[in-house]
Amino acid sequence: MIEQVLASGVVLTTPILLAAIGGLVNRQAGIVNIALEGKMLAGAFVAIVISAATGSWLIATVTAALVSMVIGWGFSLTITRLGANMITAGLGLNVLAAGSIGFLMSYAYGSSGTLRLPDVALLPHVFPASVEGLPVVGQLLANLDPLTILAVLSIAVLPFLLGATRFGLWIRATGNAAPVMRSVGLNPKLLQEASTAFAGFFAGLAGAQLALASIGIFNEGLTAGRGFIALAAFYFGRDRPWQTAAACLLFGLLDAAQIRMQTVGLPPRLIGALPYLMVLVALVVSQMRSLRRTQ
Amino acid sequence: MSTWLNRGVGFAVPLLIAFLVSAVVLLAIGENPLDTFSLMLTEGFGSPRRFASTLSAATPLLFTAVGTAICFRAGVFNVGVDGAFLIGGLAAVVAGFSLPAGLGWALVPICLTIAAVFGAAWLFIPGWLLAKLQVDEVVSTLMLNFIALAITGYLVNGPFLSRQSGNNVTPPVHEAAELSRLMPPATLHSGFLMALVVLVAYAFWTRRTPAGLEGAWVGLNRRFSRVVGVSVERTIILAMVLSGVVGGLGGAAHGLGQLHRFTDGFSAGYGFTGMAVALLAHNSPLGMLIGAVLFGALASAGTTIQLFSDIPLDLVNIIQGIVMIFAVIELGRITIRRRAKA
Repeated sequence: MIEQVLASGVVLTTPILLAAIGGLVNRQAGIVNIALEGKMLAGAFVAIVISAATGSWLIATVTAALVSMVIGWGFSLTITRLGANMITAGLGLNVLAAGSIGFLMSYAYGSSGTLRLPDVALLPHVFPASVEGLPVVGQLLANLDPLTILAVLSIAVLPFLLGATRFGLWIRATGNAAPVMRSVGLNPKLLQEASTAFAGFFAGLAGAQLALASIGIFNEGLTAGRGFIALAAFYFGRDRPWQTAAACLLFGLLDAAQIRMQTVGLPPRLIGALPYLMVLVALVVSQMRSLRRTQ
Repeated sequence: MSTWLNRGVGFAVPLLIAFLVSAVVLLAIGENPLDTFSLMLTEGFGSPRRFASTLSAATPLLFTAVGTAICFRAGVFNVGVDGAFLIGGLAAVVAGFSLPAGLGWALVPICLTIAAVFGAAWLFIPGWLLAKLQVDEVVSTLMLNFIALAITGYLVNGPFLSRQSGNNVTPPVHEAAELSRLMPPATLHSGFLMALVVLVAYAFWTRRTPAGLEGAWVGLNRRFSRVVGVSVERTIILAMVLSGVVGGLGGAAHGLGQLHRFTDGFSAGYGFTGMAVALLAHNSPLGMLIGAVLFGALASAGTTIQLFSDIPLDLVNIIQGIVMIFAVIELGRITIRRRAKA
């Protein structure tokens, strides 16, 4: 039972974590990315189509990430260059992405809602099936896919990238003091665009993982609010990589456990709202603390 | 005069971009965009019955647009009207089938009052949190939307599930609690008239009452408002609560007038389409009326067009998404921030 929850929890954590990595970097550069959901959906769609066309999970994943990256970059231009509001533009992009994908699906594939394509190549398992015999983590390791490993590695190097490299410091300076960036001759808009493209790239990876980890079928409801859970996670983790990752793992395990809690009589719909409630409570608590400090 | 011109341009440009993009999309799939748009025009406005169904589709949008505008003009970035719509809708419907049918004509006002109270209470939470603790309202209202969706989804599948009709719906409300149909067999109901009353009340509130004026001041400049003695906290909470009242009434009108019950998926993103309408209109009452009717026409014509041609209904979402992305260029906060930068 614990093995199963752990294994499925990790699988469910990966897409949230990948999206949250992009979102937290984006927010460090001063842009709250509400459009992760739409970009994940686009990534998932592209991943399924390309995977079916080429038979390669790698090409599919990379294409999905690149497509979402371009979407993210184009989206950031409306904010940085046209002065669009990042919140409504983000919500608009979610609507636009869902609309465009729905349009493409019914026009090109004549299907509404669900897209089944033959020969979709799924993500491979990293370890041979024999590891399943190991206690506790056996199932987890047997199901481990390359994107989960990539997510964990990214989280591991992110504190270094943000804290000790020139580019990371630029990103953080942009979010905290854009005028300073300008005064040293750097363009904060370019960095915001780059960070939004980065968020798009990771949201695309998240979508690819969601689509190719186990089912290999695209559905309009595939992301099911995970882009917003990712948002909740980096708000909960206050944009710090490790804390955000911990929040993602918590939400992923919660998601995995919710199916089991149903049998105990807890309604799954209410459990599904827990991440959102937790973020609300966390925001309130942190605001209360910082207000008390200033008084 | 120039403000009217500005508003007109602000209204037309995002729509123009959206229609240009959709024209390109239509050309790409080998349809004639002009034919499609003129077909949409006739399907949306061509006959009294079609116009009635356009107005019927515009009704929830009018409520959510006004609800959003009340907050936006006060500089409160409330994206949670959808949640108030759900909560108010469920409250009204539950009252509409569980209160005794013998109440007769009194049933509708009771249901509406309950919906307004629930909607107000729902958005009082983020309003209070923003005013007292400076909790970012975008995140809090966004999270509350999901929580509202979860709570109503749970209730409609659990305690309030209809025993007769199976999944995801409540029992129907009493006949006495239904809002009257204005032009049967069209679904246009008196909720549309309610929406117009709300719109007029909004126009009056913004222009002729001290509280409405203070709201605009707080939206334009919080520091100035504080200096001249306006309670910023009270104004923020009031804007949120009024927004909740309007959102809740919208849900009630939709539940009692359109569906006659509450279903899972009660709000088809009305809160967000309403937000697009409010943004497009820059919170002006007339602009919101035009915008809501336009989006209502899109929704109702889109459905028919999908039936008679190969053009998927999702075109409507493409248009809406583009409008939302490009409609926001002059919103309060942004203009302030840009001025500060310049």
